[in-house]
Amino acid sequence: MNKVILLIFILCASILHSQQTPAPIQKKSIAIKGAKAHIGNGKTISNSLIIFENGILNYVGDNNNNKDLSNCVVIQAFGKNVYPGLIIPNSTLGLIEIDAVRASDDVSEIGEWNPHIRSLIAYNTESRVVETMRPNGVLIAQITPRGGVISGRSSIVQLDAWNWEDSVIKTDDGIHMNWPNNYSYGRWWKGEDPGLKINNKYAEKVNEIETYFNNAKAHIKKSNNKINLPFESMEELFNNNTKLYIHVDDEKGIIDAVSLAQKYGINKITIVGGYESHKITDFLIKNNISVLLQRVHSRPEKNDDDYDLPYKLAKKLVDAGITVGLEASGDMERMNSRNLPFYAGTTAAYGLSKEQALMLITLNNAKILGIDQKYGSLEVGKSATLFISEGDALDIRTNNLLNAFIDGREISLESHQTKLWKRYSEKYQIPIN
Amino acid sequence: MNCNINFNNEWLTLLFTSRDTTQQKFIRYTGKINNNGFEGDINLSDGSKTNMKIEKISSKRAKSKLKNKITKKEKVIIPVTYPNVAYGNEKLPQKETLLFKNATVWTNEIEGILYNTDVLVENGKISAIGKNLKSSSAKTIDASGKHLTSGIIDEHSHIAAASINEAGQNSSAEVSIEDVIVANDINIYRNLSGGVTTIQILHGSANPIGGRSAIIKLKWGETADNLIFKNSPKFIKFALGENVKQSNWQSFTRFPQTRMGVEQMYMDYFSRAAEYNEIKSSGKEYRYDIEMEVLSEVLNKQRFISCHSYIQSEINMLMKVAENFNFNINTFTHILEGYKVADKMKSHGVGASTFSDWWAYKYEVNDAIPYNATILNNVGVITAINSDDAEMSRRLNQEAAKAVKYGGTSEEDAWKMVTINPAKLLHIDDKVGSIKIGKDADLVLWSGNPLSIYTKAEKTIIEGATYFDLQIDKQQRKNIKNERNILIQMMLKEKNKGIKTQPIIVKKKQDMHCDTLDNNEF
Repeated sequence: MNKVILLIFILCASILHSQQTPAPIQKKSIAIKGAKAHIGNGKTISNSLIIFENGILNYVGDNNNNKDLSNCVVIQAFGKNVYPGLIIPNSTLGLIEIDAVRASDDVSEIGEWNPHIRSLIAYNTESRVVETMRPNGVLIAQITPRGGVISGRSSIVQLDAWNWEDSVIKTDDGIHMNWPNNYSYGRWWKGEDPGLKINNKYAEKVNEIETYFNNAKAHIKKSNNKINLPFESMEELFNNNTKLYIHVDDEKGIIDAVSLAQKYGINKITIVGGYESHKITDFLIKNNISVLLQRVHSRPEKNDDDYDLPYKLAKKLVDAGITVGLEASGDMERMNSRNLPFYAGTTAAYGLSKEQALMLITLNNAKILGIDQKYGSLEVGKSATLFISEGDALDIRTNNLLNAFIDGREISLESHQTKLWKRYSEKYQIPIN
Repeated sequence: MNCNINFNNEWLTLLFTSRDTTQQKFIRYTGKINNNGFEGDINLSDGSKTNMKIEKISSKRAKSKLKNKITKKEKVIIPVTYPNVAYGNEKLPQKETLLFKNATVWTNEIEGILYNTDVLVENGKISAIGKNLKSSSAKTIDASGKHLTSGIIDEHSHIAAASINEAGQNSSAEVSIEDVIVANDINIYRNLSGGVTTIQILHGSANPIGGRSAIIKLKWGETADNLIFKNSPKFIKFALGENVKQSNWQSFTRFPQTRMGVEQMYMDYFSRAAEYNEIKSSGKEYRYDIEMEVLSEVLNKQRFISCHSYIQSEINMLMKVAENFNFNINTFTHILEGYKVADKMKSHGVGASTFSDWWAYKYEVNDAIPYNATILNNVGVITAINSDDAEMSRRLNQEAAKAVKYGGTSEEDAWKMVTINPAKLLHIDDKVGSIKIGKDADLVLWSGNPLSIYTKAEKTIIEGATYFDLQIDKQQRKNIKNERNILIQMMLKEKNKGIKTQPIIVKKKQDMHCDTLDNNEF
């Protein structure tokens, strides 16, 4: 009886805590029995057994075997679904808490050329927005700075940690560059026609980038230079030790940007956004360029575009053989990032199979971010970063998480929001489902 | 063939023109320079496009192999469509007699969801619901495996309007969105593609007393006046919180600057309106004041308020102000902290029209939770889910599904949040919002369960006329491609004659939200 009271006390105490307490390391082996396993590489196992120990998957296979599970905590999951933790790339989670509150905004540094800027150290592990990702299955994020021509360097984190240092999966994984637009919109707030016009400054802007790259290269070559932190940060890029993420949408811009990068020997390139990438799939294949595709739930750019163009872009790229993942930047991107599984679901409504759609936000994103050795799919030897959902996790009405694990640690699925829900349901004496 | 050559910033453009002056054709090439020549795309005169490399070879082999096939008249007159933009129809959609066979019918009535059921539409109304219905004159639509629902109703939209905020003063009851409807906004068509049939276009939230609403049906192709809902109930937008106190932009001079001031502003206006009303009804001479006329309508319960609102204190305040003047607030829109005062809202008799899961974009939505709709609905407040956004409005069926996910609302109740519940809030539920004999035939045929992410709207019907149809949409895409090509060919021909040209400009309409201000207003 005392134990029950103690347990209730502990539960209450944890509910009263303002942020979710990060889970301790995995102590006992865990086995998930009977679920449909969505591996993340396009395959499924309908009646699966998944075992992990010390945070690493050591068995993923059929449930019809005589595995000794006596050392395991067994989770019965018949009729349920297991997925790899979803990965949100090009995200600003933890860099802004509330959009309109300037004091909570750390997303964009002043200036145009900031390759030395690092997002990781500003990433707030205790963000209330971050903890709302996990109940929908989003467990890993690439934290990305914004602004300028070269915004800075991103890092990849898991979303259950005491501090940024403990959250890191990959430090400074890439440099982000915003390519100038071939077309520009009129500034309506200055009384200009809001329509799209040819950007007369395009060539000038591209030239500036080229000059910057030249200067950086020259600086690095000459060994007795005085320290220049931004230029020195470019070295990793020229050495191909870090990736270049080029944020660009139009077809001409993509070709120009890739060609320029290649001129400097840069060969690890990903296009971010890529609205028109479907028009130049041959070019992308030939140059081995992957694409982090813009938010699926957006409207077509032009009035005469197909109404479902943003929904079916993923299908067009996948069919062409391009490694494509989904990103979600744009208006209200942080809080909306928890809808990542539903962006993937929509690509399945518009052409892809459900398992192909899942790949876009698991294994493909892991490959693009360079973390697929450890994350992105349910395969032996990889991290036990996964979740169990009652139903199909890509469909809103059935995405209902029961358990989630990061590196084998069973994380809390509560949030500031679930606490308020429970508190006010109790006020009105409504039973909670 | 003639050829214009242009080389700029590493990009080569070639324009080939056939010599035949009666049937001149154009072929365009755009390519980027590489070591070996150029690589890019060639646009043939029939509108098709293929990849083409230009390599350095001997001049003999370089003779043009390009051939084009089409024979097009020199000048083509392209018919006007309704509306005269992309995806306009050559003829206005007409009312038809339609018989849906074997559908899963979400009635939103006491009958609930009916399986393998037929629905007959005649004269723009729903005329029969049942099994094995027959009609000799009807166009029969096989709906086996498909779901039929009433059209989605968006309580809070800003599409199809030329302007949203009259923000120069803290009350703008004198303006009406009905005066600024844009009937050819492509977002109307895109909303139809998501199963939306009726929307309320609200004034923005820049001032505590905003402008009057327009409730429209999305009859794509009709004139602005014909879009307006027949005998439309009268509404006005009110707003509370950060927007009306101008917290998030540099404005420190307009009253009110605090929630305290907002309350007194309402007290002031309604006191004046009550006075105005009294003088007017006493038969004495009075000076006509359009603002006071509108607010008198509110006091006399002839005009309803839909109020932009977020936090519990201000929600409670406005209900008390209204009770003071003996009327009710009709709807709190957004109402993200409604769950904190759901019991008080219920006893006041106000409805809620909320976002499914938006939050964290400003300080006042810090406690917004996706369980809001579920809690409000469970307490017994009439609850709708709205968009306030041209993108989300075409996926409101999915937004409704979030009430199932967050808090476990039943699928039927969740569906009502985007159909019959907003109809009730808009006082149009006698005509729309459910599948019931005698109601307007505003129907959507879905490929599956309308709440599922995998489902598409296949047909969207308003008063028996089909305004969106996947098959017609497919044909229109072909027509658009064809028309675009004809126009480009004609323009190139004129350009080649030496006529003055201008750079390409794509018209772009500014997207509107609650807090969108017009050009140069501040």
